[in-house]
Amino acid sequence: MVDQRDEFISEAQEIIEGLARDLLALDASLKRQQGADHELVNDAFRAVHTLKGLSSLFGVARMSTLSHHLEDLLDDLRLGRVELTARVLDVLFRAVDVYGQILAALRAGDPEPASVVDALLSELGQAISRPTGGASNPLAEYDLDPGLLAVLTEYEEHRLKTNLQQGVSLFVIRVRFDLATIDGALDNLKSRAKPHGEILTYLPSGEGGDSDSIDLDVLLASRQSLDVLRTELGGPTVSIEPVARRARAPHELPPSEPPPTQFLGSAAPRITTPPAAPEGVFTPRGGSVAQAPPSPFAGTSPRVVIQPPPEGDPIASLEVPRAGLSIRGVAQTVRVDIRKLDHLMNIVAELAIVRSALSRITDRVRGLPELRELGIELHRLHRGLDRHLGDLQSGILEVRMVPLGQVFDKLARVVRQISREHDKDINLVITGAETEVDKLIVEELSDPLMHMIRNAIDHGIERRRVREERGKPEAGTIALNAYQKGNHVVIEVQDDGAGIDEERVLEKAIQRGLVAEGEAGALLQRDILAFIFVPGFTTKEGASQLSGRGVGMDVVKTNIGKLGGVIDVHSELGIGTKVTVTLPITLAIISALVVVIAGRRYALPLASVLEALVFDPWSVRTIEGREVMTLRGSTLALCRLDALFGLPPLPDSPPPPRRFVVVVGVGNQRLGCVVDQLIGQQDIVIKPLGKSLEGVRGFAGATELGDQHVGLVIDAPAIVEDVLAASDATRLLGARKGSEV
Amino acid sequence: MSRKTAGTRVRNRENDPRRAALARRAVERGARAEYLAFRMAEEIYAVPIAYVKEILKLPPLTEVPRAPADVMGVISVRGRIVTVRDLRRRMRLPESAPTRRSRILLAELAPELGGTGERVGLFVDEVLHVYRFTDAELESAANVLGSELAEYVAGIGRQAGEMIILIDLRSILGGQKAPPAPARTALAGGRA
Repeated sequence: MVDQRDEFISEAQEIIEGLARDLLALDASLKRQQGADHELVNDAFRAVHTLKGLSSLFGVARMSTLSHHLEDLLDDLRLGRVELTARVLDVLFRAVDVYGQILAALRAGDPEPASVVDALLSELGQAISRPTGGASNPLAEYDLDPGLLAVLTEYEEHRLKTNLQQGVSLFVIRVRFDLATIDGALDNLKSRAKPHGEILTYLPSGEGGDSDSIDLDVLLASRQSLDVLRTELGGPTVSIEPVARRARAPHELPPSEPPPTQFLGSAAPRITTPPAAPEGVFTPRGGSVAQAPPSPFAGTSPRVVIQPPPEGDPIASLEVPRAGLSIRGVAQTVRVDIRKLDHLMNIVAELAIVRSALSRITDRVRGLPELRELGIELHRLHRGLDRHLGDLQSGILEVRMVPLGQVFDKLARVVRQISREHDKDINLVITGAETEVDKLIVEELSDPLMHMIRNAIDHGIERRRVREERGKPEAGTIALNAYQKGNHVVIEVQDDGAGIDEERVLEKAIQRGLVAEGEAGALLQRDILAFIFVPGFTTKEGASQLSGRGVGMDVVKTNIGKLGGVIDVHSELGIGTKVTVTLPITLAIISALVVVIAGRRYALPLASVLEALVFDPWSVRTIEGREVMTLRGSTLALCRLDALFGLPPLPDSPPPPRRFVVVVGVGNQRLGCVVDQLIGQQDIVIKPLGKSLEGVRGFAGATELGDQHVGLVIDAPAIVEDVLAASDATRLLGARKGSEV
Repeated sequence: MSRKTAGTRVRNRENDPRRAALARRAVERGARAEYLAFRMAEEIYAVPIAYVKEILKLPPLTEVPRAPADVMGVISVRGRIVTVRDLRRRMRLPESAPTRRSRILLAELAPELGGTGERVGLFVDEVLHVYRFTDAELESAANVLGSELAEYVAGIGRQAGEMIILIDLRSILGGQKAPPAPARTALAGGRA
């Protein structure tokens, strides 16, 4: 039961994300004044329709009600009964948020949030404004068969009229399809026709065809010339003719307002009985044709009554390939619980242990002359195992990777919402949405990034008037860039706003006693900007509605830190601010430097290792009881890890002939860790320590280093923080470092 | 003293036909709980076997700096990192160096039973065998032991002239210090 609910949530989530993307694209096309892309409206409509079905299946009543109303709205949009405006889009975006809230409540096992849904429902009613005035009916000018017009769905008719109003020409393509392959062939035709125009509808022609094939008349609206279409779409079984304009008396026109029907899932086509008695009857499917009329589009035919076959109707049966498309699309992806992947990763780790045992046996066997042949064979097998195991490991890692676009879509929604609330015009420019990161990281990223974006809009981008005065374009730009850099992914949030006023930050820092007034002069820009990460720090008088609501940059920093990431700020007054987040690509496997401290092996994540050098005891000086050395002209605080960890030397190990300093860097702080030996670089899987060791600081987890031996993974940021705790000595060092650089 | 249990996994007990037979016999004789007995510092202790998931030979231990005193270190059990605690240190018993008979009991106490749900390794000097006691056969610890140890003890069982001290796993595997033990009800736990 629980699993089913999870399944529902993740499926709904996926659909909602798709819906949000469609809405963003619609918003973009609306901004460019291109008008609403009808395909996007259709996609959104389908998404909501699916959500409606899903939610009522799982008894999520409010979600189902909401979807029902949204579906009505989107249907109206599709049919042109409601105009797509920014206001309508607002409501739709709100709906995406409300969907998210419902899912969050479900996930937490709470009841659906009633009030937000109700509020949105009432808003839905208000947002809709019907277009005024009935446009002239463009259909009158075309030589179209009334029988055809009678079977058009309301949507198809709407699209037909829209196209004609825009002066697009109509063509009839008659194609013969083999019944056995019609699905594929029709899809093929549709995709080839798509660049040239819009397929409005298709119907059996009633002519030609036999038991194995059928002729379809496809009504295409296109701006291309007939010749182009003939070369692009033509073929031995294809003929293309334009539909002529005509000037006939209006009374011959079909009823201009056929009764509305549902587009999807309509059971029976509408049948309009023409005034005169039927002269010819045909059943669609190309089966028994009593008196074959020419194309229903031709308009020259005698009046035709289209009579549905006893079961199913031509529209419904031809609708199948469309629906089939989307089903196929979904069936190729599988949703997997990330815990299952973790489990697989553990199995791989165990296999790696088996592999190293096998390697030892192989070496032993190869050492025995009488088993030489066996040894060679074993060696070959071992190499094969090694390779495949490596492939398996990287395969599983790859499955965990998802594009950052997942978060960026969410952020684009936030930007749109906030900029409208704040009445600031903002262009969001996204690059590198395809950059891939571990799923777990992506999940944890959205909150910190959202906060950074809020900051950029609220504190960064100036009001329109101010921007004008400063000679900046009226619309602010926020760039969201992502790219891979070695084993890391870099995400930048950059705005062209006011920048951070260092003077004010410093002023506030002095006010809050973060720095003594006398020492403030020695601080570098970096040190000053670092104050914005202090809990509760804000330069804004009176928290705004957007940011400054308790969650500050300190939370952002903590969250990024938890992911093993580092955050950096660059800012220029009046030009803009850039916040850079550097993250490991995956949490599952990291590169680490294995070191020996007092005879024990430890792993130091390479992400925080800057360099390693031989330790020269003569270069050590002591400043205020703290050991430091000079590295390329600047002072480096030292930390003897054996002493920090309280490790006595093992009884049987002699003191090392020479030691090493591993320089670790976290943000802009550096610390030299003194270790006994460097063993080398190794890819490790970090495993959490059990609950009983939760309170132990300094270790990020443990990992298997081979031979059943567990090594602890040093939590470099925690060590750096502990050692360089905000003491007077640190500030002294910081200031001195500054003056030396 | 048989050490047959040592080094074997105590999993899938439900499927074991011998165990099923034992369980039937237990029903015939009245409700009995099974306890796994082990030796620590020359005394015999026991814990409800229902919470012992596995018995391991001593793998290489990795010590954890800055950890609580009774943490001997961590080991890897099929890819999972498990903390090993030393009951002797917890109960202030004399320690001796590990021997080839030393074992680690992997035990787990669900949160609803007052544990943390974490699988923890308990170091013991030697695993003995399984005892069965009915509630009536158990004595309250307070009568026999000083108050310092009583905190960890759920009761005392006697069989064949041996005194077996039943450990209250909540005091070892619980999130915080166990509340004063009221006699021997659920503490003994684990019906066979």
